[in-house]
Amino acid sequence: MAALSAEVKNVSKKMGRAQALDRVDVSFAAGEVHGIVGPNGAGKTTLIRLAAGLLHPDAGSVGYAEKGAEVPAEKAKHFTGYFPQEPSLYPDLTCEEHLEFFRDLYDLPQPEFTRRADELFNATGMAPFKDRPAGKLSGGMYKKLGLMCVLLNRPKLLLLDEPTVGVDPVSRQELWDLVYGFAGPEMTVILSTSYMDEAGRCARVHVLDEGRLLASGAPEELMRHFGVSDFADIFLKK
Amino acid sequence: MKLSLRRVRSVAYKEYKHILRDPFTLIVALVLPLVFVGMFGFVIDLDYKHMRVFVRDNDQTSVSRRFLQEVASSGYFDLTPVHGQLQADKALGRNDSPALMIIRSGFGKNVRAGDPAKPGQIQLLADGTDNVQAGIMGTYMQGVLQKANAVFMRADPVLAGQSIAADSLIRSRFLFNPELNSRWFIVPALSTIIIGLLAIVLTALTVAKEWENGSMELLLSTPVRPAEIVLGKLIPYFLLTFFDILIVFALAIYVFHIPFLGSFLLYMLACGVYITGALALGLVISVVTRQQQAAIQFAFAVGLLPSFIFSGFMFPIENMPVFFQYFTALFPQRWFLLISRTVFLSDAAPVTLAAAFAGIGLFAAVMIVLAVKKFKTDVEP
Repeated sequence: MAALSAEVKNVSKKMGRAQALDRVDVSFAAGEVHGIVGPNGAGKTTLIRLAAGLLHPDAGSVGYAEKGAEVPAEKAKHFTGYFPQEPSLYPDLTCEEHLEFFRDLYDLPQPEFTRRADELFNATGMAPFKDRPAGKLSGGMYKKLGLMCVLLNRPKLLLLDEPTVGVDPVSRQELWDLVYGFAGPEMTVILSTSYMDEAGRCARVHVLDEGRLLASGAPEELMRHFGVSDFADIFLKK
Repeated sequence: MKLSLRRVRSVAYKEYKHILRDPFTLIVALVLPLVFVGMFGFVIDLDYKHMRVFVRDNDQTSVSRRFLQEVASSGYFDLTPVHGQLQADKALGRNDSPALMIIRSGFGKNVRAGDPAKPGQIQLLADGTDNVQAGIMGTYMQGVLQKANAVFMRADPVLAGQSIAADSLIRSRFLFNPELNSRWFIVPALSTIIIGLLAIVLTALTVAKEWENGSMELLLSTPVRPAEIVLGKLIPYFLLTFFDILIVFALAIYVFHIPFLGSFLLYMLACGVYITGALALGLVISVVTRQQQAAIQFAFAVGLLPSFIFSGFMFPIENMPVFFQYFTALFPQRWFLLISRTVFLSDAAPVTLAAAFAGIGLFAAVMIVLAVKKFKTDVEP
């Protein structure tokens, strides 16, 4: 079990009339927490969906590798967890029912499921809400449940599209702790955020604007590169 | 491509929970067929009874009175006597009766004389604005006349000997539905249409709903395959609509007292295949439209029109232009209607229905394959 790396090569993608991505090259090294930052409409969601295999590039390619060995996209999909930005859980199903549903979709054996589910319920503090329908969860709890569903499969590549949007600061902190708790040599994390202050929490940051990649690197490197003390200034300075 | 039964089961179980927790779906699925079949079964009654008829008896003999007695005792006509031309005209003018019957003077004398050249004459003036009722009234009146003839002959043996020739009429006997009871004809047909339409609408919503509430994106990111989703969605709705079929069947037998002469198992098999096709068609619509509103409009258009027009429910297929006769073969409603009517009202050998079974079976298979093939595994627009 080793984390997957993803390689986005010279990818262009049109969504409707807009050029959502324009010749983007990004390398997502294995085992790190990658942040895709940029204002709304920068192409973050398109990039994440491409990495999840839910969109196909007009030009260029998306490749995956485990310990340097290439993994075909179809196979990589089995090791990829993706939680979209938009609400995507079933409002009438409870937390536990969601986990059971994903258990079957991922074909997990029951003992393994029980162990992982308990672990996730404890880590998220969601245990008291097991029987609550997803539609009655607060914004933060909803995101946590979504994260639990995808983490159940122990993905080698975790893709989160704006996981902290609309979530209060305390829950945001909890979500970050959760992500870092699972990230490591066995799991690469790629998440997008339009909260610039969150860029600093990532190991590597990829700055997107209007479909183009402006820069990639560690947060401090990038701030030096752009000569700013705050990520928001990168976009404000323009 | 390996199909995971576990994933099929989990999708089916999830869908089953959605159904149980959505009172709207459940009410639509369980109550609607009952309401429709009940309503149509009671209301659409093409057997006219107690039609109001004004009578002006210009003959006033024992023969004319005897004749009117026959007419009244048939149960089809409620007679109201009118006196004089003025009152008769008024009755027709007021539009409160569909017909006026006039017995000419000399009616009794002519009947007694038994001269074929000079029969007893009755005039029936029926309101042609309701052509169905006027036609039916004419037919029924013929029947009553025949019966009255027979009565008069029995009453007078001499007369009976004379008018054998006049009595040799065509006597039709209707097989399987001797009274041509329209309820017998309509209820089995209607159950086809209602349940078929319901099946299409129910599944037309399911995939579109997942697209609309965003869950499809999450679902597609998991290893689940289109065939697993399609089968998983078909199973619970199949059980639900099959339950409907049993209810409607019981309604037809126990409430409307429609005879069921064929094989119950054969009928249930036909129902199973037919609703599978309808459910799969709903899924195809849902998969293609991805929007609930569009899906439901599509489902009604696709489900309703062929059900009435091309199935033979309203217009007999044999009377259609040749092209349309072949065209109707594309619609499973046509085949199921044939099976349904045949199995209900006759005990025909299953072999005679082979083509119909092939028709609904082929449709179901094509629709399932289409639903799986058209199922998108990405979120490309």
